[in-house]
Amino acid sequence: MSDAASITHDDLGGHGNADAHVEHPTSTGISNKKLLMWLFLASDCMFFGTLISTHLVYRKVYPYGAITKGIVDVTNTFDIELTSFSTFILLMSSFLMALAVSAMHKGQLKSFRRATIGVMFFGLIFLGCQVYEFTNFFDGRAEYTFSVKTPPTAKFPNGEVISSTYHGSSDVVRAQAHLAVALVEEHPDWLTIPAPKPGEPVEKTEGVAPTVLADKHPSWVVAQFKQTKVERASLSLQNSVFGSTFFMMTGTHGCHVAGGVLWLAALFFYSYSGRMEKNMHGAALDVEVAGLYWHFVDIVWIVIFTAVYLVEYIPGYGPGP
Amino acid sequence: MFPPPPDHPLSQAEIIALEADHYHSFVNLALFLSVFTGMEIVVIFTPSPGWFIMTTLITLSLIKFICVILWFMHLIYDPPLLFIVFIAGMILAAGTMTALLRLMSAADVDPAVTNPSGFNYSVPPGQTALV
Repeated sequence: MSDAASITHDDLGGHGNADAHVEHPTSTGISNKKLLMWLFLASDCMFFGTLISTHLVYRKVYPYGAITKGIVDVTNTFDIELTSFSTFILLMSSFLMALAVSAMHKGQLKSFRRATIGVMFFGLIFLGCQVYEFTNFFDGRAEYTFSVKTPPTAKFPNGEVISSTYHGSSDVVRAQAHLAVALVEEHPDWLTIPAPKPGEPVEKTEGVAPTVLADKHPSWVVAQFKQTKVERASLSLQNSVFGSTFFMMTGTHGCHVAGGVLWLAALFFYSYSGRMEKNMHGAALDVEVAGLYWHFVDIVWIVIFTAVYLVEYIPGYGPGP
Repeated sequence: MFPPPPDHPLSQAEIIALEADHYHSFVNLALFLSVFTGMEIVVIFTPSPGWFIMTTLITLSLIKFICVILWFMHLIYDPPLLFIVFIAGMILAAGTMTALLRLMSAADVDPAVTNPSGFNYSVPPGQTALV
């Protein structure tokens, strides 16, 4: 037990020297900031533990809550190469964070700033990979066939019907909207077709209302827009229990990473205020606490990567009854 | 593990020497973590039994988890109280997860089992569950 008369290594948040700003002694001998951060991390363990275990319970109940109704192979949706890369990036950011903390303990502000920039950069790369990944998961990929009636030409006075295939989102409405944009960009001259007069019938699509294309040009519609093959099922918060638990868990983790990046950015800019030099040990403690948070975010991802991504590839543990 | 605190405040030179030792630990650990991550990815594509792959993944993840906590989070250099605080949270989290996994199973949440009346929960492919 430490007291005011014998301030040692532990009382000063890990390291101290004779010229250090002396913090209030604590009954545990550990800085209150550090102890409370560890307590917070202990509680956050339980938070992520429940999210991960909820996902593990529900992962087999895919896609629509009925395990016997058909399971879509989620390994077809996951991109393990990209996830492995983002895992490696997060591990390296953790290494850089350790270097940043070490630099602050040594009183080397420039080294701290360099390492912190590296941590933030890697954190943003990780978040970028997550955003790209989730967008692809949400969209899915499917093959469609469609036909379009072109404007009148010299060769075809009444226009011609072109049939083609299209690869887009597995959501039919979204895919048609994207197709409309792609066609408009590719054939801007098709928009010169005069609009039909009121009451004039417009060729209808099969099963899908041509609202998007009607906004662009009422008489120019995509007909017979049909999904022929789902190459990669869409994974969203709403369309499956797996998706719901998956995005809740990884989204919460992503928010933690984003919060960590903002925290480090604040410390980085604070290091230019001149206040850190006046109280290096207090500043070192603040950086150490931020480091604890960042390392925790990393170890949670280690668990998520294994329990959520890799386990789906194991024979006998993957999707299926 | 948990070296006793020094009996005198550390000088700047002592702090720098201590941190130099830590730096080598960090570099080695970063290399090990990269190798272990690579091993995890490779092992799932090997033609091995499922139980072997699962055991390997859990072991490698556990090693990575413990290494990050002990060295990157400085727990090995800090007083035992912090270790106890974190482990208590881990035990509670592990206990909660184990209880959830034991108490709930896919059969408990599968309507085909819990809903013998046969209400159709399924949604045709290509459409979202919410109409």
